[in-house]
This record gives sequence, C-alpha cells and structure tokens, in this order.
Amino acid sequence: MKPILVLCLGNDILSDDAFGVEIAKALMTSTPHADVAEVEFAPVAGFSLLEMMCSRKKALIIDTIQTCSGPPGTLHFFPAGHLTPSNHLVSSHQINLPTAIALGAELGLEMPDVIDVLAVEAQDVTTLGVAMTPAVENAVPEALERVKEWIRHQTISLRISTRSEGFMAEESSIQS
Amino acid sequence: MREIVIDPITRLEGHGKIHLFINDDGSLANCYFQVPELRGFEKFCQGRPVEELPRITTRICGVCPDAHHLASAKAADAVYGVTIPSAAFKLRELQYNAFFAGDHTTHFYALGGPDFVCGPDAPKAERNILGVIAKVGLDAGKKVIAQRARGQRVIEIIGGKKVHPVTALPGGMSKRISKEEQQEMIIIGDQMVEFAKFTIQVFNDIVLANKAYVDLILSDMYAHKTYNMGLVDENNKVNFYDGKVRVVGPDGKEHAKYAPKDYLEFVAEHVEPYTYLKYPFLKKIGWKGFVDGVESGVYKASPLSRLNVSDGMATPLAQAEYERFYETLTGDRSGHTMVHSTLATHWARIVELVFACESVARQARDEEIISDHVLEPPTSIVGEGVGIVEAPRGTLTHHYKTDQKGFVTEVNLIVGTTNNNAPISMSIKKAAEGLVKKGTEITDGVLNRIEMAFRAYDPCFGCATHSIVGEMPLEVYLHDAVSQEVLQVTRRNC
Repeated sequence: MKPILVLCLGNDILSDDAFGVEIAKALMTSTPHADVAEVEFAPVAGFSLLEMMCSRKKALIIDTIQTCSGPPGTLHFFPAGHLTPSNHLVSSHQINLPTAIALGAELGLEMPDVIDVLAVEAQDVTTLGVAMTPAVENAVPEALERVKEWIRHQTISLRISTRSEGFMAEESSIQS
Repeated sequence: MREIVIDPITRLEGHGKIHLFINDDGSLANCYFQVPELRGFEKFCQGRPVEELPRITTRICGVCPDAHHLASAKAADAVYGVTIPSAAFKLRELQYNAFFAGDHTTHFYALGGPDFVCGPDAPKAERNILGVIAKVGLDAGKKVIAQRARGQRVIEIIGGKKVHPVTALPGGMSKRISKEEQQEMIIIGDQMVEFAKFTIQVFNDIVLANKAYVDLILSDMYAHKTYNMGLVDENNKVNFYDGKVRVVGPDGKEHAKYAPKDYLEFVAEHVEPYTYLKYPFLKKIGWKGFVDGVESGVYKASPLSRLNVSDGMATPLAQAEYERFYETLTGDRSGHTMVHSTLATHWARIVELVFACESVARQARDEEIISDHVLEPPTSIVGEGVGIVEAPRGTLTHHYKTDQKGFVTEVNLIVGTTNNNAPISMSIKKAAEGLVKKGTEITDGVLNRIEMAFRAYDPCFGCATHSIVGEMPLEVYLHDAVSQEVLQVTRRNC
C-alpha cells in the first residue's frame, strides 16, 4: 500500500458525476511519483472511505459538488476538516467523512495526516448518461494539473518528514 | 397555518423533504413527504444487451449494489429462460447473505442504533456511531469494522469485487471458487455468528433492558396496521435471495403468495402530484389513500414485514430470536400475531442479521459451492423476465423486456424503499401528529423523534429515485397552513 492516495469518487454513468472517473482514468498511466502515490476509483461512501484511507499518509479525494457558489466547472479545493459535503462524502446508511475520520482516530487506526478534497461544481448529477456537460468536461485538464501538483507537494512533504523521522531516530540512537 | 419542511441541504443523492403544515394554534394540519428523481434510467438501459444490466444496475445504488446485481441477474436468467446450476444458486445466496450481514450491521450501529443506544433526545452530535462506541465501548467499533470487512471479503471472493460485484450473469456465475477460498469463508462465517451473538447482547443490554425504550417501540405513535410483504422459502421461512412473495394482512391472514413473474397481478402504483416517487399498493385491495387497515392496499416491505409474513427463520439462533421477538411484543412466540410497531423494525433487523450470519456459516460449508459447474450458457430467449430479491430495505423487483436478440426494450424497477413510500409518509404524519401539538416548540429532539418514524425503514431514496448514495440531509420547513408562507427552515442531516 502506497502512502499517498488519490481517491476518485463518482459514478461513471451519471453525467457530471463521472468527473472523478475521468480523473482516475487519466492518471492511472501517468501518476507522478508512482513509487509512493497511487490513484483509485471507488463508487463508495461512508465506512468504505475509512477503510480505503486507513494506513495512508496523505489522501486527496476527487468528487463532484453543487454549492451554487460558482459556475459549473469551477474547482473547489478544501481540507476535509472544513468539509462542505460533496456528493459522495456522506452516506444515508453509514457515516460521513468527518465521522469516518473521527472514528478511525477513536479506534486507533492510522489515518492520513492530510486529507484534502478537490471537487468540481457540477451542472447535472441526476441524468443517467455517459457524457459530462461541456463545462465540467472542460475542467478536467486543470484538475489534472492540480492533482499532479498536489502529489508532487505531498511527496516532498512525505520525504522531508521521513528523513526527519530517520534523523530523529538516529539522534536518539546515538544519545542512548 | 404554518409549514415545516424537512429538505436536503445539498443536491446529495438520497435526499428527501418533509413539509409540515401547522395551524395557528400550533397543531398539525397536514404533512407531505417528497423525494426527487434521477432521470433517464429506462432510456439509458434501452438498446443495451440485457447481460450488461447486472453490472449497470449496481451503479444506481451505492448502498445496495449486491441487491441490484442479483435481482438483475435473476431477471436476465428469466429473459433467457435458463435455470442456473445449483452451485451458482448457492454461491449467489451465500454472497447475498454476507452482504446482508454487513449491511444490517452498518445500519444498526451507525444509523438506527444511535437513537436507542445514545437515546432519542441525545444531542445530535452524539447521536452517531461515535456515541454508540462511547456507550458500548471501543471494542464494539473494532468489531463493527471487522464485521464489515468479513462481509466484503466474501463478496470479493464470490462477486469478484468488494463493492460492486460483477460475477453474476445470465445462466449463473462467471467465476468459480477454490477450496482455500471456501475454507476462508467458513472461518468468516463462524466469526460472523460470534458477532451476531455480541449484537444480540448489545440490544438486550441497552434497548430491551430500558423500559422507556420498549415503551417507545410499542407506542401507538409509531404503529401502523398495514399489509406486509416479503420473500419466503417453501416452508414460509424468511429468504433474502429466492422464493415466492408472500403478502399477509394486518390481521395475519395470507392475502397472496405469488411467483415473481406474476407481480403485476398483485402490485400497482399510485401517483401523487407533489412527488416523483410512486406509491405501490396491492392491486386487488385498491388504493384507498394513506390509511391503515385490511381495506387499504397500503403495504410495508421491510425487515419487520419479512418476519410478519414468515413462519420463522431457517437457522436455529435466528429462530430462537424470532420467537423471543414475538413473545416479547405480542405474547405469542409463534409469530402468527402481527407486530405493527415501526420501531420494532430495528429489532427485526437484528433477527435477520443473526439469520444472515448463520446462513453464511452454514452455506460456506456446502461442498457444492466449489463445483466447476457454475454456468449454464443460455441457448434460447424468452424476451421477458422478472427477478425479485429482498433488499435490506424491502422487496426489490427488476422487470425487463427484450427483443429476440436480447437487447433491452423496457425496464421497470420497484425498489425496496419505493414499496414503503406510503407507510413512510403515514408514519411521519402520525409521529408528527403525536409530537406537534398546540404550542409545541419544534426542538431538535421533536424533529429527531419524527425522523425516527422513517429512519426505522432505513430508507434509501437515492435508490428509490434511481440515484446513488447520500446522507439523509433534510430541511424542516415550517409553513403557515393558510398562507403557505414558509416561517422556519431547519437544516438537518439524519
């Protein structure tokens, strides 16, 4: 299991909800720093999010959202702790993402120290169909660049913290 | 008159809206329940090979993909007029029981259970699984996570994927399982049974030991005397995967027992102008409005309904729990006296959880499941088929028509929650009538007790409206009953 996870949520037959699927497809063969980062698509919510993020160090969730605070295709980036519920980060029968994170911590599971969300403002998430609306489809290239940049940034952060931990361990060893 | 509306806070799939119309004196004048609809499902399916539908229909509900996968596969079997091999039947049933074991676990500990474990008047922030863990113990949380993982592992072994199974297809299964995988599932089944026993104990200690909770379950405010529907096996025992649909009246008398292909003779759908979601009713009784009784065609299809239409459970521990359930609530352990208390659905769900776990343990030991013969390729076509399974939320019907090459021409679904649309509306109204009185302050506790009336059904409106999964975000709109003016909006997630 790789420490950095890009978790793409959505539904590939539900118009703009296919956004996450498209991001996952595009990144599958071109994931930066693939030695430490991986991309997964999952049509899940609730407990499944907890189970998929467990034992990861950094996680980025890709999803759709309807905030009406911008035109369709607008990208919203926010840490999960400041969650505006996006379309798959909640579940009618389970738990939402903040509860999942809290539950993971309560149970002593190793949860990511960074959980961010990149969500696109969707126009249509109620019509079954395999085509996204043009505005959302046009947002895919920029979203891909932002995801790649996020992976690069988190990879550097991860390496710094790993080296720091190694240095601390070495120091501790010398002192003892 | 004022109106309170409970409405979604986002577009989220699965959202519903409740309008409460309040008279000037604070009493309830009327109550409506609405849900939105996902568009184009039938059109999306038309022209596609019917063998694609078992994989496509898993996409319409993120909560019950297994239910749709198998109902769809059964309908596709019928379209081709093929009888699947015995081993394939057993694998599907085993996988489905594992799915039920996981789903009912999740519901009790994360959704329905908090109302009882934490209490209906507990602060909303505590009324969730974290509150349950705080009361039951950290170990319970770990057990829930482990139980879910067990169910997913069985689904992965048989269904090919943890979340959206893909292996059921017309004629049987596309994947065989190995002896090693069987051994793993035997161990999982035994562990599931231990978890079921643990859950029985939790329910005993926290719910049944609290007289106030038992009184709440039995209170008239949460009771409706309607018909009940559910699948039963040849001995009238509860079965989730196969059998005949049995319908029993509020008086306990059998109204109908029919094969899935005949469902249109028994079920029709009523439409109301304020909602897209239809109201199925019993055709031979007729639609008489949102009313109880043997003269009303309203029926429920839920865990409680399944127990009510059955003569018991096919596994020993579940049968013992079934008898205890009826003895406690009716004084008649035979189960022939109906339980009409909506909140008893939570307990019925636990009886079913026990049955699902025992079934996994038993069926995993069947040597036939490792047979090589799991697929009988279709050689002819009928062109029409109906598949019915019990989804955790109620009877799930898939009905397909195809041309002679197997391309879909018509699709009709009646999903679990749709069956319960009328009873849910009635339950909300009755609870609201009981709680919203002259001068009542609409507090969070009042709203929660109204929501408990429909939460017991574990409704999945995302699924019912052909959408996928979402939280149950609601807005409570308070309207003046005369001017219709919105006086108050309360945003909620429940």
